[in-house]
Parts: sequence; C-alpha cells; structure tokens
Amino acid sequence: MTDKYISKDGLNGLIASVKASGGRFVAPVLDTRQVVYKEVSSAEEIVDDYILPRNSYKEIAFPQTEILAKYELTRDGVTIDPVEIVARDTVVFGARPCEAASLASLNSVFTWDFIDETFTKRQEKVVVLSLGCVDADDECFCTTVNLSPASTEGSDVALYETENGYIVTPLTDKGTAFVSAHSDSFTDVAKGEEKKELVNPEKVEGVDLTKLGERLAKSPNYDNPEWAELTRKCCGCGACTYSCPTCHCFDIIDEGTAFEGERRKNWDACQFNHFTLHASGHNPRDTQYKRYRNRFMCKFHIYPTKFNSTGCVGCGRCIRVCPVRLDITDLMTAMSS
Amino acid sequence: MPEEAKIETEGVFEPKIMAFVCNWCTYAGADLAGTSRMEYRPNVRIIKLPCTGRIDPLFIMKAFENGADGVLVSGCHPGDCHYTTGNYHARRRWTAFKDLLAFTGIDLKRVQFSWVSASEAIKWVELINNVTDDMEALGPFMKFKEMNKKGPNQG
Amino acid sequence: MENELREKAKELLESGEVAVVIGYGFNRKKTRITPVFITKPEETDKLVFNELCVNNLSIYLTRKYRDIQKIGRPAIVAKGCDIKNIVVLITEGQTKREDIHILGVTCSGVVYKQELFKGELKPEIMPSKCHNCDVRNPHVADTVIGEKSDFTPPEEPTGMVFDKIKEIDAMSDSARWDFWNEHFNRCIKCYACRQLCSLCYCERCITEKNMPQWIETSAHPRGNLAWNLIRAMHLAGRCTFCGECERGCPVNIPLNLVNQKLVLTVKNAFGFESGIDENVHPPMIVFSEDDNENFIK
Ligand code: SF4
Ligand code: SF4
Ligand code: SF4
Ligand code: SF4
Ligand code: SF4
Ligand code: FES
Repeated sequence: MTDKYISKDGLNGLIASVKASGGRFVAPVLDTRQVVYKEVSSAEEIVDDYILPRNSYKEIAFPQTEILAKYELTRDGVTIDPVEIVARDTVVFGARPCEAASLASLNSVFTWDFIDETFTKRQEKVVVLSLGCVDADDECFCTTVNLSPASTEGSDVALYETENGYIVTPLTDKGTAFVSAHSDSFTDVAKGEEKKELVNPEKVEGVDLTKLGERLAKSPNYDNPEWAELTRKCCGCGACTYSCPTCHCFDIIDEGTAFEGERRKNWDACQFNHFTLHASGHNPRDTQYKRYRNRFMCKFHIYPTKFNSTGCVGCGRCIRVCPVRLDITDLMTAMSS
Repeated sequence: MPEEAKIETEGVFEPKIMAFVCNWCTYAGADLAGTSRMEYRPNVRIIKLPCTGRIDPLFIMKAFENGADGVLVSGCHPGDCHYTTGNYHARRRWTAFKDLLAFTGIDLKRVQFSWVSASEAIKWVELINNVTDDMEALGPFMKFKEMNKKGPNQG
Repeated sequence: MENELREKAKELLESGEVAVVIGYGFNRKKTRITPVFITKPEETDKLVFNELCVNNLSIYLTRKYRDIQKIGRPAIVAKGCDIKNIVVLITEGQTKREDIHILGVTCSGVVYKQELFKGELKPEIMPSKCHNCDVRNPHVADTVIGEKSDFTPPEEPTGMVFDKIKEIDAMSDSARWDFWNEHFNRCIKCYACRQLCSLCYCERCITEKNMPQWIETSAHPRGNLAWNLIRAMHLAGRCTFCGECERGCPVNIPLNLVNQKLVLTVKNAFGFESGIDENVHPPMIVFSEDDNENFIK
C-alpha cells in the first residue's frame, strides 16, 4: 500500500471511526503531570511533545491484574468459573519505535512452551501505530541496542510527523487492513508534505552487545564482585520492572475471602526480595545486587539466547523512573569490557 | 447522607456492624447482658480479642472491605486493662487512625470507640442500640460497596 | 564545601575509622545525582553535594542492605532532614550511634525532583519540607560540613503540602473520598514508596503476608486503598516527612499529604516530633494516662 496522510485535526475522524467499529483508541495523554497511554475520545486530549509515556503499552496485552477464574464455596461444594478473555480491538497511537519492538519480545515469552492465551488473544487485537521520534532525551539509547527512531520492528503502521499531520506508512497486513478499514480518515500525501527530521540518539560509548552477551554467558562472570559494586544502590522497588516494556514476570494468586474470590494473574517483579523466597526460608537471590543481576541477565542473555529476541529495547524508562538513578547503560558499558 | 440514602436496598436496611472487643471487659459485659436476658439490636457481630492492644487498624479495614456498614471497637476502661496498658496504647493508635480515616473521607460515625467494663451490661445494650441507630441513619456504606464492585484496572 | 567533604571522607577512610562513605556523586553524563559508595581514599573526589542531592541515603543503613553492612563501618553524608531518619533508626534500635559516622552537611534546600532543575533552585521547585526546615544546620552529626545557615523557618508552616491539607480538610467526606480514590487507583503496587523509606525496614512487609492475606496485591482499588492507608499508619509517629516515598512514586500519588497529616496529628495529640532526639521514645510505643479520649464513648 502506498503512503497516506492524516492531519492532526483529522485524527478526530479516525478516533470516531475506530470507536464506531467497536474499538478503542489509546494515545499519550497528560494525567497528573505525566504523559501516559490512555484511552482517548478526541484528538485534543493527545499530547505531542513527549519523549515516552510513563507506562508501557504492554499493559494492554498483559494487564497488571487479570482475572483468570472466580470461585465460590457453598454448602454443596466449590464452584469454579473460568473467566472468558475479553480482548478488545485496540489501536495504540504514538508508540515509539523502541517500544514497538517490545510486543514481539513479550510474545516470544508467552508462546515459548505454552501458549498463554490471556496474552496472545489480546495481542492479536492490538494495532500499533508507531511514531518516529523527532526528539530524544539523555536517557534514550535505542541506537545502542540496534534500534533507532526509524526502526519499524513490531509496528503495524509507521507514522512520521510533518508540519500539520502525519505521513502514514502501513507495514504489516494488520496495518494495511487497519488503514483500509478506516480509509475515510486518510488522504493521499499532498505534494510538498515533508517528514520532520528524526533524531538520532548517540550510541552509548563502549557498549558492545556481542561482547556483553559472551561475557554474560560465561559462568565465572556471574559471581563477579563487580555486580555488587555497580548495583549496590538499587533499593529493590519494582519501578523499573513495572515500567519496562519487556518485563513479563507475573504471579498467580487467589484473592478474596474463604467463601468467594478470584484467581488473578498479577505483575510481579524480580526486584522484589520475596520473588525467589522459598517456603523453606532460603532465598537464592538474597541480596539486592543478585536481583538486579537477574534483571540484567534477563535482558541481555536470556532473551537473546533462549527466545532469540530483543531483551532491552533502549527506551530508557528504567533510568528515568529509578529513584536512585541506577543506569542500565552503566552496566552495559562495564560488562562490555 | 443524601447520596447514600438514595440507593434503596431491597426491603428494610439492616446494617451490619462489626464489633472488635477485648475478652476481659467488653466481652464480659456483653455476656452479662446476655445472661441477664437483656435485649438489644441484633445487627452486631462480635469478634473477641485478648485485649484492645491486639486490635490492628487492618481489622477495621478488613471489616469494611467485607461489607460492614459500621465498626465498633471497645475494651476495658483506662486503668482496668487486664494487661495493664494495652488500652492506653490502643487509644494512641486510634487517635492517629481515626484522623487518617477522616482525611480519606470516611465518616467517623462509621467507626466508633468505647470503653465497656464487665459490669456495664446496660452501657453495652445502649451502645449497640445507638450504634445501630447511627448506621441506620447513615444507610449502607456505599463507598466501600461500590469500590468492591469495581473490577481491577484491567487492560 | 565539597573539598571539605572530600578531605574529611579521605581522612576517615585512610585512618580506617570507616570502611565506606555513603554519599552523593554524579552519574556518567554529569546530569543527575546518584548515591555512591566510596571505599578507597583516592575515590573521594567523586563526592559532591548540591541542590540535586535529594536522596535520603539513610536507607542504606538498614538491615535490608546486608552487603553494604559487610563492608564495614560506614560514614554517611546526610542533610538535616536525612539525619532525622537516622535518629529514628537509632531510637528504634536499628543502628547504634557509635556505629556510624554522620557527615552532616549544611543545606540551603534541594529540588523536589531532579528533573525539575533548570540551573537554578527556585522556591517553586523546592519541596514543602525545605520551606519549613529547622535543620539546615545538622542537629546530630560527628562532623558538620559547610557554612552555617541562618535560615529560620516560618512560624506557620507554608508550602503546597500544607495548603493542600487545609483544602482537603475543608472538603466534604465524599469529595475527600473521591480525591483519594482517584489518586490511589493509579497505584501500581511497585512499592517504591516502601523501599525508599528508611523507616520501612521490615524484611517482611505486611503486604507480603498471605496466610492470611491482609492487603490485596492486585491493582484493585480496594487493595490500593488498604495499602496506602496502612503504609501511612505504620509510619505514624515515626515519619519525618523526608518526602522520599512521594519522590519515588512513579505515578505521582501525593503521599506527602497523608504523611504530613499524621505528622500533624501526632504533634497536636502527643506533642511529639520525629527524628529530633534519639533518646525520646516514639509516641506509639509509650502513652500518657492523660491522652485525649474525647472520641471514645
Ligand atoms: S530495560 Fe530499561 S531501557 Fe531496556 S527496555 Fe526495559 S525499561 Fe527500556
Ligand atoms: S534499578 Fe532502580 S527502579 Fe529498579 S529496582 Fe532498583 S532502585 Fe528500583
Ligand atoms: S528539609 Fe532542610 S535539610 Fe532537608 S533538604 Fe530541605 S533544606 Fe535541606
Ligand atoms: S513515610 Fe515517606 S516521608 Fe515519611 S519517613 Fe518514610 S519516606 Fe520519608
Ligand atoms: S510508590 Fe506509588 S505506585 Fe508504587 S506502591 Fe507506592 S503508592 Fe503505589
Ligand atoms: S484487656 Fe481489655 S483492653 Fe486490654
């Protein structure tokens, strides 16, 4: 399909058209002094000068809390009702190219040995409209992990900002189908309509992903005292994991009373000290640096070797949100040498 | 409570009141009311604890989460605690907790505190009747009930 | 001031009086301040102190950081407000006064969040605690570094937190309930608030107990409310209003309001202020027979 065009005002038409077909339109909006992905009903709500929203849009396919079943205890016994997965057609507008690459990574985890339908059914219904970045901040490092503001991995439709609108490039079948389904909202690209120049965040000096991977694969490095030195300040909150687009850990828990309640799949974080606590009281990751090491290993060793996908997409969220400003690129540099 | 009164429950509203009481005074007082065949409103469910010092603010939260319309906390009069000082500590804790609850918008009539001794069966009877009247006037505790109905923030 | 700090730190490390200096340093790009742990005398020039030094480093003195404790006796760079937390830790038997060397720094205020700093520390980017600070000259320290501050806090506390508390106090019950539900509903249960609070040093938090479960861990308004109220309650009479919990909250929940509300309650009801004197017992473990009980029937 050839490129199309949509003006900023024209977004209202697209939003209405998506809604009319029963879908929802998620975009970056301002909420409590932060930019977050949220459902919108008009183009005016959407902000356009943002680097990255605070939250990752992974929560559309992998919600923080998901009800798997409901249980009830009565005189006659226990009843368990599985809950049907309600996957809604969802359009994510303005996803950054780094983050767009993340859903595929999550998919590789959720379909590895078992197809986790709570994820796949929702993911199938997500259309990602990525928006090339014209601005970046100190924390962005997509270029260091072989992505860039121009990458299209994971995106269904690529958008590029122009003076008053966006040039629309459908990339996948899903994307083409989306643009055709809402064709009234798009026009042909007028002559002279020019894409704004994309930024090109500087690569972090001294990072070599191949070396890094090789080093992590060697077991003596696992016990290198450097880990403790570099990550001693980590306070073990889940802020980085809960904002990261490729963190995927969850816990299944029954919550309610003794008589009725729900079985829920909740986000969990390897940064919590109880994450690996055994019933015996033994904790194999008994200090914080071991937990941080796990997160790092997950991104740069487990994802690439076990799932053959990108672990860290370089969005920089974990750096921005970290209350002690632990910078993952510092570790990448240290572990590359 | 205009907005809460509007929400009509089916038939007559029978408030559910959760009472956390200490074993040595208030529970004994309630027991005395029972053995003396005094009648009082049946809306209260009593949970007996060793001492008011054992009443964690979480108990109050849990009671509301599980559908209580009101909570009553009661124990020995100051100076009479079986463990000497449990109720003095409890009093401090309640002082802070009630302010916190009020700050979050919970009407303090929903959480009531009292001292009832082992001999004060009459005070117990009056207390329960009054608390029940208060809850009837306030209506069902819709704030929590509505919150319970809400699903989790799902994608 | 920084030279003085580095000299002193060097001296302490060289003499073997301390094995590690917990302080502030720049990140690689020199744009943000981050905690640093200095163990070698030659590395002390990494230490800095400026208006971006927001972290309350006293968390690293708690038992959660076993590998830091293994290094040996620490010296800690602390602003007056951070020292308040150290004082509480001492009162509560979490550390001993003689086991740490407090490098108290005189302070003229810090930013609310580092991201807000655009080259100048304006009053509107300072947290309320700084506007009312009575410890710009550290009140408990082994070494005081920096020039004496002659700031006197205003009689009536000023700042956003205090204004907002007044505003909420004047609201109806329902408006308050809505206000807090809106905020608490955003909670993602990341527990950054707990992890950043040096006074939340329990190794097993109540929210991690599941037999029985007291606080729902799901992203459900019910568990979010319970978590936020009980967290605040567990800090009643202990919280020093250092603001770390709110700073760390990734979803901007105004936790300072609940904290300060309880600070005020404790002050009014028991005349107690947390973090001033390590020899005074905190209000929730003592009592007075004359405590007000006008709310008890
Ligand atoms: S590890 Fe950090 S930079 Fe990498 S994808 Fe996750 S949040 Fe983004
Ligand atoms: S790296 Fe930062 S955000 Fe992540 S757990 Fe550690 S302190 Fe929290
Ligand atoms: S509260 Fe006082 S000591 Fe603490 S940062 Fe502000 S001015 Fe400095
Ligand atoms: S509760 Fe918050 S403000 Fe109070 S001491 Fe802990 S981190 Fe500081
Ligand atoms: S830091 Fe904020 S979002 Fe995280 S658990 Fe605390 S209140 Fe909730
Ligand atoms: S035993 Fe009744 S209050 Fe302590």
